[in-house]
Amino acid sequence: MPNFPWSGRPDVSAISDASLSALLAGAELPPGAAPELRPVAEALAALTAAPTGDELAGEAEALAVFRERLGVPSPTRRSRRRPTLLSPLLSARAAAAAAVAALGIGGFATAAFAGMLPAPAQQFAHHTIGAPAARASQPTSTHPSASATPAGPDATGPAAFGLCTAWAHAKQHGTAKQKAVAFRNLAAAAGGAGNVAAYCGTVPHPGASRSHSTGKPSSHPTPQHPTGPPSTHPTGPPSTHPTGKPSSHPTPHATGEP
Amino acid sequence: MIGDRFAAVLAAAQGGNEEAFSRLWRDGNPPLLRYLRVIAPDVAEDVASDTWVQVVRGLAGFRGDEQAWRAWLFTTARRRSIDEGRRRSRRPTAPLEDVAAGQLPTAPDAAEMALERLGTRSVVALVAELPAIQAEVILLRVVAGLDTEQVAQLTGRSPGAVRVAVHRGLRRLAQLLAEAGVTL
Repeated sequence: MPNFPWSGRPDVSAISDASLSALLAGAELPPGAAPELRPVAEALAALTAAPTGDELAGEAEALAVFRERLGVPSPTRRSRRRPTLLSPLLSARAAAAAAVAALGIGGFATAAFAGMLPAPAQQFAHHTIGAPAARASQPTSTHPSASATPAGPDATGPAAFGLCTAWAHAKQHGTAKQKAVAFRNLAAAAGGAGNVAAYCGTVPHPGASRSHSTGKPSSHPTPQHPTGPPSTHPTGPPSTHPTGKPSSHPTPHATGEP
Repeated sequence: MIGDRFAAVLAAAQGGNEEAFSRLWRDGNPPLLRYLRVIAPDVAEDVASDTWVQVVRGLAGFRGDEQAWRAWLFTTARRRSIDEGRRRSRRPTAPLEDVAAGQLPTAPDAAEMALERLGTRSVVALVAELPAIQAEVILLRVVAGLDTEQVAQLTGRSPGAVRVAVHRGLRRLAQLLAEAGVTL
């Protein structure tokens, strides 16, 4: 029978708070330590031991999720070359990502093949990944440098939720963005600027069948909030989806995120 | 933990670099599973997957150091497990026949206990024997690597209460280990 240093009834009251705190802070077990401490030290080591195979089994699936959302193809893959960062393409991409977020669809490609992107982005997708070309009735981009009379997102449709979120945020931060084209649509849909809050209360969360835990400020433990600074985006609403993707590209975006 | 390289790895992952994301995932997934196997045992893998989907969605907007990252990861996981509605009760009221054998907390394998180095799964299974609060705070402190303040915020308790629960849990763990040793 193996002889354990700690076998027999240990007097756990002999394990002091101070020694526990030290072990938790990563201290090594001192040579003269009470024998009762040894199992605690061993247990802590086991809990933080290197990963086992089964704990790393889901990697391919996780990478697939990442690739679809954010992935940049490696240099060896040529089929989906993304152009470098020219601002019209950036704004198209941002508007596209925004439209995608507002529509609650995952993936730029999905929205592109559904023909759901604003016209410049749809054309970009048409040329790069072979998505359908933009139709005449395609939603126009809300970027200021686009058409002379931007229509803005439809505030009575699925974009309403994204618009409402952005509006609430803009209001909270007291910016003048509430006058932006998109918000004018929201005010019109609500029947007046003063009714927007009430209107937004009736707007359903896209895909509301499962509760969507996306880290609202009140429940997040640290000051760092995953939703970023939505109010600095020039086109306003779509980039302020609660899960926070104001810009998925790290290069200098006009908004200069911190 | 990734350490000094964390900021660079995070930035690369946010830029779409798969290797960087893989690094974050390999660093975070094992601790997540160890935590979830205790607080949401029947659905640990599912909740872990859902957690990563949420994290990928919010990744571009995340700002913070490695401690904040870990806190975000585990807050998300905890919320997902609550949403799943399968919060583990310490004393299951369902008859044992209804619970699949693989989901019962198992006593540490005698052969494993004979090794001087304790197996991770055995110790996690022992932690699962502790009262729920003690089990959770120990996992958040030790496995997730959160500090007392972060654990307090996450669980809605005071830092003092967290410290007491961690220490009580560790003492009880020492007792469980000793008892497991004695029965051999």
